[in-house]
Amino acid sequence: MSPGRIRALIILAVLVLWEALPRSGLVPVLFLPPLSLTLAVLAADWPTFAAALGVTLSEVAVALVFAVGGGLLTGALVGGLAGPRRLLLPVFSSLYAVPLVVLYPVMTAWFGIGAESKIAFASVYGFFPTMLATAAGIRTIDPQLLLTARSMGATPAQRLLLVILPAAIPTVLSGLRLGGALVIVGVVVAEMLIASAGIGYLVTFARTVLDSPRVFAGVLLVLLIAIGFDLAMRWVERRCALWSTAGRPQSAPAAAVPT
Amino acid sequence: MQPLAELNRDAAPAPRGMIEVSGLNHAYATRQGPVQALENVALTVGQGRFTVIVGPSGCGKSSLLMMLAGLRAASAGQILCAGRPITAPDPDRVGVVFQEANLFPWLTALDNVAFPLTLRRAPKAERQARARAMLELVGLGDAATRYPHELSGGMKQRVSIARGLVQDPPVLLLDEPFAALDEQTRMAMGEELLRIWAATRKTVVFVTHSLTEAVYLADEVLVMSARPGRIIDRMPVPLPRPRSYEMMASAEFGRLRDRIWQQIKAPAR
Amino acid sequence: MLVLGRLALLAGFCALWEALPRVGLADPELLPPFSTVLATLGELLARPALLADLGTTTLELLVAVALALPLGTLLGLALGENERLARIFDPLVFFLFSIPKSIFLPLFILTMGIGFWQKVAFGVFSTLFIVLMSAAAAVRSVRPDHVFTARAFGASRAQIAWRVYLPSMLPILLEGFRLAVIFGFTAVLLAEMYASRTGMGHQIASWGENFMLQRLFAGVLLLSVVAIAMNEAIRGIEARCSHWRS
Repeated sequence: MSPGRIRALIILAVLVLWEALPRSGLVPVLFLPPLSLTLAVLAADWPTFAAALGVTLSEVAVALVFAVGGGLLTGALVGGLAGPRRLLLPVFSSLYAVPLVVLYPVMTAWFGIGAESKIAFASVYGFFPTMLATAAGIRTIDPQLLLTARSMGATPAQRLLLVILPAAIPTVLSGLRLGGALVIVGVVVAEMLIASAGIGYLVTFARTVLDSPRVFAGVLLVLLIAIGFDLAMRWVERRCALWSTAGRPQSAPAAAVPT
Repeated sequence: MQPLAELNRDAAPAPRGMIEVSGLNHAYATRQGPVQALENVALTVGQGRFTVIVGPSGCGKSSLLMMLAGLRAASAGQILCAGRPITAPDPDRVGVVFQEANLFPWLTALDNVAFPLTLRRAPKAERQARARAMLELVGLGDAATRYPHELSGGMKQRVSIARGLVQDPPVLLLDEPFAALDEQTRMAMGEELLRIWAATRKTVVFVTHSLTEAVYLADEVLVMSARPGRIIDRMPVPLPRPRSYEMMASAEFGRLRDRIWQQIKAPAR
Repeated sequence: MLVLGRLALLAGFCALWEALPRVGLADPELLPPFSTVLATLGELLARPALLADLGTTTLELLVAVALALPLGTLLGLALGENERLARIFDPLVFFLFSIPKSIFLPLFILTMGIGFWQKVAFGVFSTLFIVLMSAAAAVRSVRPDHVFTARAFGASRAQIAWRVYLPSMLPILLEGFRLAVIFGFTAVLLAEMYASRTGMGHQIASWGENFMLQRLFAGVLLLSVVAIAMNEAIRGIEARCSHWRS
């Protein structure tokens, strides 16, 4: 059997178990509501889910601008200039260890429990990895290419526009992908902790009343959004970087994990 | 593409492709104090001549080439091309081919070749036509739409040569262009370069550390010493053209090669 | 020189933190001055209750990492060494590696309640795939020509494992370990903040809800310092074990 077929079988088995285990009573429905029940809840309650999703996604959109815009800009500056790079990059990678989630109570104290605190938290959450990835990516631009452009009499503006920018596109896109994933997680986690609206709030509310199918439906929805965003970004990356080899080294796992 | 016709245009005082270097010195500061990289380098390359600079690694031959390209400033001395000093890159007078082909990975072979014309904001039709003609010249007419990662090392270097020639500069500088290639490709590329040179009659300055390559390609070999880099021999190569692989086995070839070797061989370290 | 620059940066940060509320540019209620926060931290650290919370969080993290590390390493070694397994499971593992873990937290609470082991389980879940991916990458980073060379000189299997595999793999394994600690810390704190009666995360959340900002900032400062210290300590070991890498 081909690896792909075995993989398909494994996934199928997981889905079947998801349905069969709770139905047979081997696993309580509270722990694991059957797949069909979860989907049925999602369909039946769709207006509620959709409204919550709207809140969450609008927060994500705003935070994305702050996190990715700030991350790309700072990352390009820190990575592109030798002085700040040597001074700051080690500082930033030390700060990377700080568990940012503990900042969320600060955000709610400062901005209240509305959208502002979610946006602020998710922006910070997405900012650091995006910045570090961009700084690392900018440094991978081959200085020889700049020398070559100079030998052809390229002006500084032309070097920026025709060499540095195209060379940075893969970095920018993977920064956007990474930052976007983290911003989604940031907003949802924030809503889970303290909020009055949004998909994370919906999940937590359902959890406190032990409404498992609704918890699973909400988690599934968030997961689908995260995966959908990731796939869409990967597609854009492939489209925009036809020139790069398929096996281009990915960024270090350090920067690639949304938690 | 008609480089041959253009060549006869200016016969006057300094031919378009003539290079004159005099009193070139270069020193740079390190933690251990100043290092004299080039010492009193003088050379003249006549219009349409093929000159090879050879020397041990670290002798400053690549630095010298970067200065001819206007990419690096010397501490003292003068570099003239077509009678006018070179102080900054001037792609109208000088084309450069680097050791690594340095193709822009996000551009196709054709767009890479057209890149210098893009910098000049030449009309698109003209860019494409020129670039296509150059790709034909280097024998890559059918690889125009390929990206660099789809090209072999030798093909990349051909694209790079085509790019160096696309603005039809009278001078082509090559910095160890075949050093990263395997031996067979290297031989084939040398032959290819001579063919292109014969077709375009550019003035060529070619830096290498391969003695065989130097003798095989050159009208004249300039031998440089280890640091401080000085020109210690100017050896004409009287072998007839077109050169052929068989010549390498001749006594004459061996004698010329040995003359360079005797001058640059370092005491075993 | 650079170290001085960074120290100056740190001093500037602390000075700004001190000055902003003092000169009235920030509300001292919302941003207590740095010195006040330090004093509060001193008081807190003298309390046995807080030390107990810190101990709970640390223990949850240690147990989670202690479980995830051998499990993830073994699975990673299997994937790294067995090509057939890799062909089947690599895409699945990569998928599991790259999906966000935090959003699964409510499921852990539904099944395991809000006790010690729920946080450990969530910590393991959050770190396992990082360890697994690192271990697989570490095995694949061992260069076959090094193994051939060792074999040519008559090295036994054990010698190859000990003298070739281990030193080659150590830098990547340690990096995975470091990331596991960082992400595990975040996971455990999040689980405590979300639903718990103990631990530093629980304290932070309740200080925030009760608007006790001096304590909240003291807690944030403490946890940041702890996280940076752990990170730098493991990085130090990494540097010592990978000095031969350029």
